[in-house]
Amino acid sequence: MSNPFSESGGLRARLADPDAEVRRVAVLDLPYGDEEDYIALLTVALADKSAAVRAEAAHALEGVEEQEVVAALVPMLKDSDEAVRQAVADTLAELKEPRWGALLLGMAEDSEPGVQAAALRALRALKVDAAFEPAMHATASADAAVRREAVGVLAYLRKPAALPTLTRIATQDTEADVRKVAVGALGYADVDEVIPALEAALKDSAWLVREEAAHTLGKNKRISAAGKLTEAMQDEYWQVRVASARALGKMRAVQALTVLIDALGHTVSNLRKEAAIALGELGDARALPALEVAANDADPDVRKLSRIALGRIATAQGA
Amino acid sequence: MNTIEHEVDVLVVGGGTAGPMAAVKAKERNPQLKVMLLEKANVKRSGAISMGMDGLNNAVVPGHATPEQYVKEITTANDGVVNQATVYAYAKNSYRTIEELDRWGVKFEKDETGDYAMRKVHHIGTYVLPMPEGHHMKKVLYRQLKQKRVEVTNRVIATRVLLDENGAAAGVMGFDCRSGDFVVIRAKAVILCCGAAGRLGLPTSGYLFGTYENPTNAGDGYAMAYHAGAELANLECYQINPLIKDYNGPSCAYVTGPFGGYTANNKGERFIECDYWSGQMMMEFYNELQSGNGPVFLKMNHLAEETIATIEHILHTNERPSRGRFHEGRGTDYREKMVEMHISEIGFCSGHSASGVWINERGETSVKGLYSAGDMAAVPHNYMLGAFTYGWFCGENAADYIAETYPDSAKPVIDQAQIDAEFARVGAPLLRTDGLPPSQVEYKLRRLVNDYLQPPKVTRKMEIGLDRIAQVRADMEQMCASNPHELMRCMEVYHIADCAEMAARASLFRKESRWGLYHYRVDYPQRNDAEWFVHCHLRKSAEGEMEHIKRPIEPYVVELDDHEKTAYDRLRVVRQPVAA
Amino acid sequence: MPLAANMTSVPVVIDEEKCIAHKGCTVCVDVCPLDVLAIDMLKGKAFMKYDECWYCMPCETDCPTDAVTVSIPYLLR
Repeated sequence: MSNPFSESGGLRARLADPDAEVRRVAVLDLPYGDEEDYIALLTVALADKSAAVRAEAAHALEGVEEQEVVAALVPMLKDSDEAVRQAVADTLAELKEPRWGALLLGMAEDSEPGVQAAALRALRALKVDAAFEPAMHATASADAAVRREAVGVLAYLRKPAALPTLTRIATQDTEADVRKVAVGALGYADVDEVIPALEAALKDSAWLVREEAAHTLGKNKRISAAGKLTEAMQDEYWQVRVASARALGKMRAVQALTVLIDALGHTVSNLRKEAAIALGELGDARALPALEVAANDADPDVRKLSRIALGRIATAQGA
Repeated sequence: MNTIEHEVDVLVVGGGTAGPMAAVKAKERNPQLKVMLLEKANVKRSGAISMGMDGLNNAVVPGHATPEQYVKEITTANDGVVNQATVYAYAKNSYRTIEELDRWGVKFEKDETGDYAMRKVHHIGTYVLPMPEGHHMKKVLYRQLKQKRVEVTNRVIATRVLLDENGAAAGVMGFDCRSGDFVVIRAKAVILCCGAAGRLGLPTSGYLFGTYENPTNAGDGYAMAYHAGAELANLECYQINPLIKDYNGPSCAYVTGPFGGYTANNKGERFIECDYWSGQMMMEFYNELQSGNGPVFLKMNHLAEETIATIEHILHTNERPSRGRFHEGRGTDYREKMVEMHISEIGFCSGHSASGVWINERGETSVKGLYSAGDMAAVPHNYMLGAFTYGWFCGENAADYIAETYPDSAKPVIDQAQIDAEFARVGAPLLRTDGLPPSQVEYKLRRLVNDYLQPPKVTRKMEIGLDRIAQVRADMEQMCASNPHELMRCMEVYHIADCAEMAARASLFRKESRWGLYHYRVDYPQRNDAEWFVHCHLRKSAEGEMEHIKRPIEPYVVELDDHEKTAYDRLRVVRQPVAA
Repeated sequence: MPLAANMTSVPVVIDEEKCIAHKGCTVCVDVCPLDVLAIDMLKGKAFMKYDECWYCMPCETDCPTDAVTVSIPYLLR
């Protein structure tokens, strides 16, 4: 379909047009056109005097891992225009290759929280050791977004040395969102020392943090946490109980037998489902009578899962 | 009509999901090959994932599920009628595909430490991987096409596969829906990735384009493969999906399930017994709709505010983002009201069920040099990830095929007569000055599909349906197009008519009931393994008629014990379907 | 062929104040899977030429000036 407006002049001429909107449209078309050197042309457009053109060029360069491009983008985290800064941050966050770490590290200690958070966000997926120290410093930032991204970097690096900091944030940070991320981060730690923090997080004031704590304990599978998870089976949010039941099942916490059997009678069917699964994993014959009842539950999912659990217990007993 | 000719090595038809992957992998296999990706819309935003995808529901990720487990589930969900080798090939490569897409920049949900955030929805394995930020899919794919120097041609509708003197695929013919030029593209291998037959049944709203599938996917690939002589498999195993009523898009249970949402009847209670997305599940859904317990709803109003906000973000920015706008118009807030659901019109789609062009585990159809992947290729329940995985196989295998078949500068030899015939066929509606508009012919055809071909399938109705379709076929020779856009709609009507006839004939051939609602034949209500534990293939005979072949089920590569074979039977609702 | 003039409500509406088709923009026309949008050559603005909409939204999402609004087709609403 021909458009007389776009065909006059061609893409290169449009990129040099005095009208910023014409240039912006040309930038939008570049990644889908025939120009072999579209990346170089987009890189030039990053320096356009119009913020709208710069932002569009920054977006269009997403996924391009080339030296000239990344080197041009990083300083633009300090662009005068908010939309450009956002576009640059989003594009940098898509980088995958560790070699960009060196370019980003300086910005990770920037005094401007927005810049610092964006740099840390971009560093996370690169998993470069050099980001460890800046991220550790950033956990002390007054800005919650910076702390959140710093925790992200540390979680991806999975270093034991970060654990004391992460456990502190998980239990003490003022922002629930940051605590939740830190609680999730502790999932990489296969050590006992993080368990008290996760147990404490089971009592967090925010239910999403409590749910995440139960989930993470299920990932770490430390049986020592079974007691606190059993208490969490009384949480006012059924969602937290579901995550706790799942964790208890995964760690085969026989001491949770009674609370799990009780949960088979809860009004929320999602919880009855999870309790049935967990009882199957426990493999304890004492759950059989309750599961026989649940095998006739009004909810088909609960019935099915109870039948599966009955089968698993029979197998466990037979073995 | 002018004729424009191109010549390439690998021609991929369809730039949605499987197609871009096939093109990229062919090029990676042999960068010297000239690879063209042909698309009837624009690759930028085409196909089933034009607005991305909200999650994977068949991800086989180590530590969460095994390929063997997955093959067992798909086998039972398909009542045993499965070429396991094809499913196994997908399952073994599923994780490789995820990792490749992740490297390319597709965003799968990860936990705080960077591990994939797998969710359990099924009862045996864990296959769900959410993609809350999955709306960038097409951008990511386009980037790869550009990097690998795949030639992209948009707005060209393929209508027939070109065949060489030995009956091997040697390109396609079609036309440009903007300029109206007739297009002939010669190639040494053709990969059809044309999506589902999504414009077969008529949505209950009556709006021709308000389909479950992207309506651009009108069954072009099924019709082209048929006319090229390829075998199509188990077409009677229709696609029918649960969806948001009237909106006609997915609701989507796989997204809401891990958050605690579920499909409920009018009492707000779960009623689905069946584990896996299957015809059996659709039968249960259908029965509930027809019973006093209907309508059926998606229930989320028991969830916490924070959870609903997350679900809204996922459902209203991915895959079918206008869901939010639809609910707003109806005054449906997930917090307060359940969302009314229904079942979709019928279609063909192996991505969701099993109806497709037959392929083996290498992506080869029964025609030499012709490959197929994605929704139109018969690997049961392949979904998006299967489309990518088989696109990958097809691209590599097509490149290898060319190296073996066309050493040096050898080329396929093509008889000009087939080009002349197609030129005349495609050009005809533009030459007529009076007759029938394609929209009216299409409406009538699809209304007949609803009237006679939908399950419960009744022999007498199917026979009447075939007669009526034949009458519409005669009407099609009077279709008029005043411009290339209308010509596109005319040619799609031909594809739809071919699919409708195949659906009816395939349904009549299999004289038993199988796959729950997908193939519930009122006159043969029981499953009959003694006679029908086979694949039913359909192809064009030497006389140009549709013919049927029974093919034995290939030996299983993953054996199921008796307990597993009957797992679904034991969960089955005993209630008989409501009669037609 | 005879042409019968019927009124119709189209799902895709363009805000002509915002539309910059006259500056070379064809984004909405490019991304439509059903090819139902076009540029009015006289006005230099996009418009919905065929009522064949899947309400899939790329035209609205990708429009650089937020000039496109997709509403659910009346028959489904």
